[in-house]
Amino acid sequence: MGYHTSVYLLLFLPAVLVIYQLVPQKKRWIVLLLSGYAFVWMISRKLIIYLWAATLVTYYTAVRLAWTKQIRAAAVRENPDEKQELCAQFGRKEKRILFFGIGLLLAGLGYVKYFNFFAANMNLFFETAGIDLQMGTGSLILPIGISFYTLQAIGYMTDVYWNKAEVSQHLGKTALFLGFFPQIMEGPISSYSQTADQLWTGQPVNVNDLSRGTVRILWGLFKKLVIADRLYIFVRAVFDHYEEYHGVLVAAAAVAYTIQLYMEFSGCMDIVAGSAILFGVSLPENFRQPFFAVNAADFWRRWHITLGTWFRTYVFYPVSVSGPVKKWIRISRKHLSVNTSRLGVLLLTLFPVWLCNGLWHGAKWKYIFYGMYYFVILFLEGALEPVYERVLKKHSILRKAFPFQFLRILKTWCIICTGELFFRADGFRIGVCMFRSMFREFSVHELWDGTLLNFGLDKADYLAVFVGCLVVAAVEFIKEKKLPGSEGIRKQKLPVRWAAYYALILAVVIFGAYGTGYQQVDLIYAGF
Amino acid sequence: MERLMCILNELDDTIPWETEEKLIDDRILDSFKVIMLISEMENEFDIEISAEEIRPENLNSVRKMRTMIQRLQG
Repeated sequence: MGYHTSVYLLLFLPAVLVIYQLVPQKKRWIVLLLSGYAFVWMISRKLIIYLWAATLVTYYTAVRLAWTKQIRAAAVRENPDEKQELCAQFGRKEKRILFFGIGLLLAGLGYVKYFNFFAANMNLFFETAGIDLQMGTGSLILPIGISFYTLQAIGYMTDVYWNKAEVSQHLGKTALFLGFFPQIMEGPISSYSQTADQLWTGQPVNVNDLSRGTVRILWGLFKKLVIADRLYIFVRAVFDHYEEYHGVLVAAAAVAYTIQLYMEFSGCMDIVAGSAILFGVSLPENFRQPFFAVNAADFWRRWHITLGTWFRTYVFYPVSVSGPVKKWIRISRKHLSVNTSRLGVLLLTLFPVWLCNGLWHGAKWKYIFYGMYYFVILFLEGALEPVYERVLKKHSILRKAFPFQFLRILKTWCIICTGELFFRADGFRIGVCMFRSMFREFSVHELWDGTLLNFGLDKADYLAVFVGCLVVAAVEFIKEKKLPGSEGIRKQKLPVRWAAYYALILAVVIFGAYGTGYQQVDLIYAGF
Repeated sequence: MERLMCILNELDDTIPWETEEKLIDDRILDSFKVIMLISEMENEFDIEISAEEIRPENLNSVRKMRTMIQRLQG
């Protein structure tokens, strides 16, 4: 039951909303929690046990941390002269509790998500090395949302450890924070302070939220059904038979997949955010006009924002202030140039973040490559920044001049589409093969000589995709440039507003990719 | 706290440090500038800044940075 399906939109969501409103405010959290569990049960059945286990581990760890902190504070009050020793002693204990909690959660995630990958590679190693040993592999099914709620849980426990979040003394509040049904399948990955209290309040449903939420859901459906699900047909045709295609068709498939992924993931996030708004809950945004990014670093500040924020807060910064990095900075400042020191910091801090980012997407070499691809690009961007600055100054080029900005955006598109080609390809080797085939017999005329009509899409489909993309691009342009109208359709005059509502509904109903010739496409990020 | 202003201007002299109130929230300071700033602050003020201190409440403005430094200096 994906968020775009009629079962979710016409049955599950309205039913939960009605029950939620009928129940007294103090008990509404129970409705949300049980709905979350029903949602997970319908998809993952008994694998819901992973969510329950994660909830218990998170709750216990956070409460234990808070309790240890209280004892420390009392001990310091009683013996102020021994403050430093007591802080160090209790600090070590708190760290052990935190690491134990994180370790348990990562063990669960590691087992279901990475065990088979690890075993397969170990077996390959044993075979190559001539060692007579075999690790058994099993058919492990990934529980829905585990990659998302595990990160949320780790974030919450770490925030309690860092005194950034109030500890929840109620198991139900922790459970709801991790099991809110609109979020559980694809995020956004929120921090405890962003959503826990809102969910717990049980705010009554009101007309304003109903209208805001519905419009947001419709906008998401438009992106998913009109654009993404159509492009899926072309993308699947090329990627599934990659050996038959080369040149411009492979390049077009890479671009089409990039657009499909964005329309699908951001569309799903719109449906998720819209669903949450119906219950008076505001979730953090996951996208901010990513195709206006001027470089890869900028792109990752605009794409899957909550994942980037998570890695920055809980991996990048802790690594940046860790012993080895500090030691490097100290030594390199004494003996090397500032730039060399900076390069070392870039290497040491970016590598773990992008290795984790790649692995988070899945236990496949292509995802590790995807992470390493951005590691290399971001490293080069950081390393070449001083050279870049000098060139700009020497040639008096204004950084914000339109032609220059446009070229930078175009370059970023190339980087993004190449990355997504490897991301979508069915394995790293196939990705390399497709990338190389892009430069073979590249004939642009294949884009308009009718070749594209052999992939299951007709002219009307391409027109729907093109117009759909134009509409999304126009909305994103208005938002990016903060032009009149950027405050949203609901702030416009009545005729404009209703014309837009009708257009949106009609576009989804008439131009949505369903019925004969189309198939329902599963959400891509739900697989992570 | 002139030393802090020296560090900040050395890091980037195009940012109006004294007037900006949302250095992190508005993404004026990116992650790398934050690391370099933290490293310089530790060196200059003989303090230890842990990962938990790297948050907007401590780095969004010069005033907040000063407060954090004074607190960590004890």
